[in-house]
Amino acid sequence: MRSESPSLRPPFIASRLVGLFTSGWHDEAISGDLLEEFSDVASKSGLTYGRRWYWRQSIKTIGNLCGAGLRTAPWLIISTTVGGYLLLAFGSSLPETLIVAVLQLRWHHVVPYYTQRQMEAHIFWLNTGTLIGRHLVSLFIGCIVAAVAKAREMVATLVLSVLLLALSVVGWFNVARHWPERAVPIMFIELVGMFLIPIGGVMVREVRRVTRARH
Amino acid sequence: MSKRDYLGEFEHIVLLAVLRLGREAYGVTVRQEIEARTGREVSIGAVYATLDRLEGKGYVQSRAGDPTPQRGGRSKRFFNITGSGAAAVNRTQQALRSMIKGLDFVARYS
Repeated sequence: MRSESPSLRPPFIASRLVGLFTSGWHDEAISGDLLEEFSDVASKSGLTYGRRWYWRQSIKTIGNLCGAGLRTAPWLIISTTVGGYLLLAFGSSLPETLIVAVLQLRWHHVVPYYTQRQMEAHIFWLNTGTLIGRHLVSLFIGCIVAAVAKAREMVATLVLSVLLLALSVVGWFNVARHWPERAVPIMFIELVGMFLIPIGGVMVREVRRVTRARH
Repeated sequence: MSKRDYLGEFEHIVLLAVLRLGREAYGVTVRQEIEARTGREVSIGAVYATLDRLEGKGYVQSRAGDPTPQRGGRSKRFFNITGSGAAAVNRTQQALRSMIKGLDFVARYS
């Protein structure tokens, strides 16, 4: 039954973004309404105007759906955010602890004398491995928060991300004041971690969508 | 439901749009009706968030329509006002009328 005219297709990213925030009958109704009006607007005022209209409507709609999600289930969002924050507080040092433990074990019991290459590998795992591990923890915690938040995966993970951003801003100011050369890399690394939390939400959301479509 | 439960401004506008549209009230028509009559740009998300809230309060009922090709095979969601929704509109209108009565604000601020 799905037959959209290829020339009058709405912006793909915008329509997928809206789909991430809707569930159940909302998904059908809101996506269908946007497509119906987009076809009218684009045929009357041109495709470029229509696409701009679609983006504007999508962004506003996402804002409204986030607000509605917060209003209708505030305790669920608060508890998943606090839970996610605590998991991050305890879990983000876990990769570093594990990597250091493995490297120490290897150094003391397997390879007592490092060559230059082995030393470089050791340092690589200490720096980059720890960083990758921390980001994987952020992604994993994003998935956990989204799984607990059920139909509000995106709202819950976005709220956690925004909370982390707000808490980090103070830290960035302090770092920028005392070690200005380190401020930008630290900010970038932390922003990537914050970005990966809603990505976890997107992953859980997509898995649920595919599972629902199969049934 | 409390007898003093008045409608918020946008809830009031949405319910009036649903009343005006009758059996043809769904997201697109409600949004367009509000834009045409108030000149205010409204998002489809705002309309659905409000209709959802009104449905939760028992002021509107919704039903699914048939899927259509213009909507990429997605069905419409039609809304109609309930008895308690109509009563809430009346209550709010009466409160507004009673607040406005005796004020010559049109002459003063126009």
